Amino acid sequence: MHDSGEVIIPIGPQHPALKEPECFLISLRGEKITAASIKLGYNHRGIEKACESRTYIQDLYLIERICGICSHSHSTCFVQAVEEIAGIEIPGRAKYIRTLIGELERIHSHLLWLGVAGHEIGFDTLLMYTWRDREVVMDILASLTGNRVNYGINTVGGVRRDIKPDHQEKILKAMDLLEERTKYYIELGSSESTLIKRLSKVGMLSRADAKNLGAVGPTARASGIERDVRKDDPYAAYAELDFKVITSDKCDVYGRTLVRLGELMQSFSLVRQVMQKIPSGPITVKTGRKIPSGEAVSRYEAPRGEDFHYVRANGTEMPERVKVRAPTLANIQAVSKMLEDRYLADLPIVIAAIDPCFSCTDRMVTLHDQTRHKKNTFAWETIRRKSISWYRQQGVDFKALNKKMAKLF
Amino acid sequence: MSVISKVINWSRLKSPWVLHFNTGACNACDIEIIAALTPRYDLERFGVLLKATPRHADIILCSGPVTKQVSSRLVRIYEQMLEPKFVVAIGSCASSGGVFGGCYNVEGGIDTVLPVAAYIPGCPASPKAIIDGVVKLLTSLEE
Amino acid sequence: MTDEEKIKQELENKFTYLKDAVIVKRKSRVFAAVPLEKFKHVFDYAVKNLGFDGLCAITGLDLGESLGVIYHLNREGRLTLNLTVALDKEHPQVATVTDYFPGADIYEREMVDLLGIAVKGLATGQHYPLPDNWPKNDHPLRKDWKGEAKHA
Repeated sequence: MHDSGEVIIPIGPQHPALKEPECFLISLRGEKITAASIKLGYNHRGIEKACESRTYIQDLYLIERICGICSHSHSTCFVQAVEEIAGIEIPGRAKYIRTLIGELERIHSHLLWLGVAGHEIGFDTLLMYTWRDREVVMDILASLTGNRVNYGINTVGGVRRDIKPDHQEKILKAMDLLEERTKYYIELGSSESTLIKRLSKVGMLSRADAKNLGAVGPTARASGIERDVRKDDPYAAYAELDFKVITSDKCDVYGRTLVRLGELMQSFSLVRQVMQKIPSGPITVKTGRKIPSGEAVSRYEAPRGEDFHYVRANGTEMPERVKVRAPTLANIQAVSKMLEDRYLADLPIVIAAIDPCFSCTDRMVTLHDQTRHKKNTFAWETIRRKSISWYRQQGVDFKALNKKMAKLF
Repeated sequence: MSVISKVINWSRLKSPWVLHFNTGACNACDIEIIAALTPRYDLERFGVLLKATPRHADIILCSGPVTKQVSSRLVRIYEQMLEPKFVVAIGSCASSGGVFGGCYNVEGGIDTVLPVAAYIPGCPASPKAIIDGVVKLLTSLEE
Repeated sequence: MTDEEKIKQELENKFTYLKDAVIVKRKSRVFAAVPLEKFKHVFDYAVKNLGFDGLCAITGLDLGESLGVIYHLNREGRLTLNLTVALDKEHPQVATVTDYFPGADIYEREMVDLLGIAVKGLATGQHYPLPDNWPKNDHPLRKDWKGEAKHA
């Protein structure tokens, strides 16, 4: 990063002489990124293989834990494929309960994302506010399912727990509260010039590139691509519910923010509809433990985008093959494009804006300075702090906004 | 004694600086760790500060079942911490490998590579459990 | 006639060897088993003529006697066409589809690492998802992989 015209070798935790597996490899010419590549695999645990030696029910618990934010997405996507192979039609009430949990998950995920995005750009009061709001949803999820995360609500043939009458009021009250708060965030997003300036024209991804590179979810919708699995390939109760697919033509991080805010509003409405329309009846059908030979493809609109599962059964209690393509994998390819010819200071928010399903907190970033032929590796946190101070020098500073919001807290 | 008053007690003696490291976790525990620092649980009020560099940390909070890619880096980060230093395994995966026990590419609990001072179970470990566990560790160190 | 049935008909008419090989499982789900040597023709036709403008994923699998690859194409986010090819287990090889879908890169690398399928035309690059120091010719998703015993 520049300081009085010179190219400085940034300070920070360095790991010289270590065969450090780099996570982000960024080539720089001055302050501008010329190329970016991301190495994945840190979270590779061997889940697909493990699925083959566990029963379908055991696999539900394993697959839920692919990601600790969209655990219900993965669990539901998987169980839908299994039920399709077995020719199982789950009760209507179960479909609605899966939908409810799915939308509550989207709400907590998008609020979490807002906070993380705020943190990456130095707008930390946003993190405090949104994560406080998120706790309202976590409480409901814990009350409905017994856990804040990893709900274990699904079983092959339906769901394991029913909604109780006293949940209804809690849920509706929470939607009212969160809708008020989200309206405030939307206002913030459309009127605070510091925020708009910081996020606009950053991480540009044209509609053509988004399509070409296979982007999904809010990342794709913010580039004008009107695709949402809930509408295009409905599952659970979505065919019976009314909602809009939110898009933006901005093609930047600001657009991705607006899309998620819009989706929050749609989710509040969806939850209300679920509570109103949910049919009575059983929540599960009895099924055998063995799933007949066959294969199925299942798709689900997770908070981050299309989750894709393929399952092949062989007549036993254990699957022959389980394939999971999480949304982040589809979006990660677009990131290099978004970073091309951008400032290094944009790295943290551009990555955060695809809402990646990998922990950024300790990822190493290797900077390859092409003009001076030097390579150095830094902790993500260092890059984040430098990015905030770089933007401060450009006149984009969240100090005042943080102070103002802290007073209202 | 409630959890909160226990923390107040001991924070007068020492405010630990913690480093948070994810060894291949699904992020659930990581989010609960950060949630522990947000207003509702507010660990920061008691002087527990999240640090970015191992050299400044007293305690390393580890999540995840230690994937092979991350194993040697975890050890190196621990080596960079100055004594006295303590490792806390947060969540079932960090404690024993959790649901990923036996998966290829996973070593297992944190104690397969580092000496662990405290285990905080849960899938994920809740913010309350995290605070409780950290307090228990610090109380035991006093004694 | 539904869209799915139209696709089945068009494929079977254009490629006579696909007769009885195209199955409409349900709405939005069409599956077809394609002979390896004809794969590029069918893939090309699906993308250029049938409007399949997206690739959801590529699944590699061990079918016992052979290895298989399934290309999960989608049209406008709605309809998925799943094309399966069988590969010889001793020398499994397919051609890359990154010329159609740049995003296929990471899905192809996954097959290379986990099943040992060679992908012709795939640029040399990083491993995904296994670590760089993973032993060669060690492919965890193969049914006969003994690795688990090693790591237990």
